[in-house]
Amino acid sequence: MDDLQFRRSIYADPKTQDDAVVLAKNTDPAKQKFATAVEQLDVEIAKAMQVPVPDDLYNKLILRQTLASHQQQKRKNRIHLALAASFAFAVGLTFNMLQDSHVRTSLGDIALAHMHHEEGFFNNNAGNLVSLAALNTKMADFNGSFVQSLGQLISAQFCPLNGTKSLHLVFQGQSSPVNVIILPSDPTLDFASHFNDNQFKGQVIQNHDNNVIVIGDKNESLQQWQNKLNENIIWSI
Amino acid sequence: MRNKIGEPQVSNIMITKQVRYEALVKALHGDLYRYAYWLCHEKQVAEDLVQETFLRAWRALDALKDEKAAKSWLITILRRENARRFERKRFDMSEYEEVSIPDVKSTSTEQQIENIWLREKISQLPQEYREPLVLQVLGGFSGEDIAALLNLNKNTVMTRLFRARNQLKDALDDKQQQRGQHNG
Repeated sequence: MDDLQFRRSIYADPKTQDDAVVLAKNTDPAKQKFATAVEQLDVEIAKAMQVPVPDDLYNKLILRQTLASHQQQKRKNRIHLALAASFAFAVGLTFNMLQDSHVRTSLGDIALAHMHHEEGFFNNNAGNLVSLAALNTKMADFNGSFVQSLGQLISAQFCPLNGTKSLHLVFQGQSSPVNVIILPSDPTLDFASHFNDNQFKGQVIQNHDNNVIVIGDKNESLQQWQNKLNENIIWSI
Repeated sequence: MRNKIGEPQVSNIMITKQVRYEALVKALHGDLYRYAYWLCHEKQVAEDLVQETFLRAWRALDALKDEKAAKSWLITILRRENARRFERKRFDMSEYEEVSIPDVKSTSTEQQIENIWLREKISQLPQEYREPLVLQVLGGFSGEDIAALLNLNKNTVMTRLFRARNQLKDALDDKQQQRGQHNG
């Protein structure tokens, strides 16, 4: 190994373990001397580079990190709080909507509930019939009147349905009474023209501001009733 | 429910991270400070650089998988921070070539005076020679490691190391010659 190459290698890394360099060092006293001098220089360089580290640097670093992570935590907590608030808000909203949808039952459900409430109250063969005049007095409240009686009217009375005043008519049917309920339109109620449960079936038609609901047992032809009602009730505008 | 299960785990992770971080700071803050000092020659700037570096390290601690790689990882962060410093205030430090080392000569031992003289010489080395030298002597990195850290090829690194030591040796020889002349 020539001298220049050797010097370059030693200068670049005095601790080099390169075989050729180590061999050259061990065989040539001049190279050995040079290597030792550079090693000595390196010791001096290392000493010089050991500038004093500020005593409090370690503590400062820990403190700074603690503060930073505390702030991060605070931010996180804020986010958690915001999340919790949004969640509570969403739950509140959902609850309200559920409540609301409870209120928003359908016309049919209300009518059926009323039917079951008064079940057995009316006798299909009852003797006391309501006159057309008496019926029309009550119908006047709903801006309507019957041209002629639709059949045997067993009962005509005002009933509060879902908190609204309505007229409940009970006619004699084929096997059980047929019920006609005249209920002012309520936009908050779901409207379905046909409904039924295991006992009754019903139909709804809308006339001006009122819903006319016909409910009877399964044997009854409600369409006939509905046609008759359409023909016989005159609504004043 | 989820919180009750989750929180102890989270705080365990936090504690582990804390312990890891403190160990890292304890083991490496000296080396890193010295490296920063030789990069910028300003005690205060070096301290700021180290603080920024460790703060970033804390945030990204999960990215450090191998503890053995911690030193070069931190040095990479610190070099990036240093570069950012120049982007922020370009003219503030760039013309700083003279080194401000407090005058301690009057109260120092001969060894300390030697150190101070050599420190000045190291500071006067061009940055591109000084940085690999600091990494080799202080950091104990191999030529390959330094090449990877500085994004250079190994031959370039070895050449720069050679030139750095060569310049220092020349300066030292000059000094000894002068002293010889004085004495003789």
